[in-house]
Amino acid sequence: MGATISRLGERPNLWPWLLLAPLTAYLAIFFLVPLADVAVMSFTEPRLSLANYQKIVTGTLYQRVFLNTFLTAGLVTLVCLCVGYPLAYLMNNSKPRTAMLILLLVTMSFWTSFLVRTYAWMVLLGNNGPIVALLSALGLTNPPQLLFTRFSSTLAMVHILAPYMIMNIYSVMRKIDPVLIRSAESLGARGFSLFRHVYLPLTAPGIANGCVLVFVLCLGFYVTPVLLGSPREQMIAGLIGHQIEEFLAFGMGSAMAMVLLAITLAILAVYHRRFGLDKLWG
Amino acid sequence: MTRSRPGSPTLLAPDRRTFLKAGGAALASTLAMPYIARAQDNVLYVNTWGGPWEEAAKAHIFDPFTAETGIEIRTVSPVSFAKLAQQVQTGTYEFDVTTLGAGELIRAEQAGIIEELADAPYEGALFHNGVGSHAFATVIAHRTDKFPDGGPQNWAEFWDVERFPGPRSLQRYPARVLPLALLADGVAVEDLYPLDIDRAFASLDKIKEHVLVWWTAGAQSTQILRDGEIDLIGIWHGRYFEAEEAGAPVAMTWNQGEIERAYWVVAKGTPNAENAKKFIDFAVSAKPLAGFVTQADYGPLNPAANEFISAEDAERMPTSPKNYPHTFEQEIDNFGADIEEVAQRFEEWLAS
Repeated sequence: MGATISRLGERPNLWPWLLLAPLTAYLAIFFLVPLADVAVMSFTEPRLSLANYQKIVTGTLYQRVFLNTFLTAGLVTLVCLCVGYPLAYLMNNSKPRTAMLILLLVTMSFWTSFLVRTYAWMVLLGNNGPIVALLSALGLTNPPQLLFTRFSSTLAMVHILAPYMIMNIYSVMRKIDPVLIRSAESLGARGFSLFRHVYLPLTAPGIANGCVLVFVLCLGFYVTPVLLGSPREQMIAGLIGHQIEEFLAFGMGSAMAMVLLAITLAILAVYHRRFGLDKLWG
Repeated sequence: MTRSRPGSPTLLAPDRRTFLKAGGAALASTLAMPYIARAQDNVLYVNTWGGPWEEAAKAHIFDPFTAETGIEIRTVSPVSFAKLAQQVQTGTYEFDVTTLGAGELIRAEQAGIIEELADAPYEGALFHNGVGSHAFATVIAHRTDKFPDGGPQNWAEFWDVERFPGPRSLQRYPARVLPLALLADGVAVEDLYPLDIDRAFASLDKIKEHVLVWWTAGAQSTQILRDGEIDLIGIWHGRYFEAEEAGAPVAMTWNQGEIERAYWVVAKGTPNAENAKKFIDFAVSAKPLAGFVTQADYGPLNPAANEFISAEDAERMPTSPKNYPHTFEQEIDNFGADIEEVAQRFEEWLAS
């Protein structure tokens, strides 16, 4: 890659830039300009001041929702890791046919619209759904409330985001040289010790990639917690939507969006210093 | 989730909007692509909710109006109060008439963005320069499979979790929910306004953990009632009938149903003001209004319309002579507090 670029540099070639131009223009017009508009609005609506940001720092509602957003994103990331790591391991260490089947299942879920998956959970977890019916059939007279709780919204978000975790870890596991494992074994590493001192460090980049992607994507989740959770578990994107739709508080919504963006960029910056952002995309 | 029926956000979110303080204007200006100002004599632009609302309006109001006057109706949707304010400021008119809820109507009048109306098409039609058209009610409904011996008949019983245990649902909309909380706490309908906000929140505290869903869209309220996700709900009457027609085991009462009215208004300064007034007179006249409210599941505010409504259809209307005495009306101009502040307090209360 580096060689290609330097060769192009010697012979001034505008083609790559021309090819990039439509996309750059598209992003500039439909992403950067509106984003700048949002940034300006966060300081100017309803009047020129820092009042919106002040409210975020001092208002109990905003603090609570921001805190809940990070706790939820953390919880979802943790569960995704606990579910995703063994699954990626299984994919990497089973026969090609089985691995293919698991991969197919993971990607099929990945390709299904998340709105559809969210509604599917509503059907599954509903009072007249199969899970409550099963619990009743098993003799549970008073089945627990599943829908519209933290449980249901977390479950659905894990379902939607787990593929990002699995694919990231899997791609790293595939690249591990089996010779390294055999060498470790020949040096006496066994079982947990082998995993702890050899396999886990080798897969760490995949874990980091997966966690950052899942965490950042989860921070901005909107529809799933709105439909499956309750106002007590609402996340920041839902609150932004509600503030704009119900109160037409464009300034307040913009300020919250800017804070969320700043935090997301900060997380990515830390990641970049540690691992390099280019690794995030495999 | 469609928002085309009674209680779409603008109609239903009357007083909670801040854009008159220039709030929405900035965003609206970047998004709106207004038609270039037109002064054709024979076209009138009407702001509608789209969907079934517009179908009903087209069949019973728009088409007959065109047939009678030769004035063509074109529609713009959805209903946007922000746009109404915006087009008066810019002088670029995308629509000439629209409908507003009472809270928005009062603010629109204060902001000077609607035409003054002098002649009432029927007695008592005029309210703050809007012409009363139709109404809907928030009513108590329950699942008959959960309460075979009958459900709650008033808001105090709706609040009674001992007698009627089970998950409940209310709209995430304080201007509408706080009066219900006060009725539940024993306040008489005639003493309701101005609202005792602290007492209303104290009453809400008692039921909070039993409210499983705070619904935000009309379609959502129908779905959770129909699918039995909740046993009791405060729901718009039109949305209730959808669940009933879908065959769900449900029942409702008109008792203590909370009525809200929708008003036709003319955008201030529109070149089509005369035609707009002609249109509104037609829209609230007995026969077209009767047809519209029957199809769109509202109640007519012009009593003359009742003549054209069958007894069977009248059963489904909050304003029919039989049902109306059981209901009560919102008094937005005597609310008793800044609705904006109450709404923020409500959101904090919900999240805590």
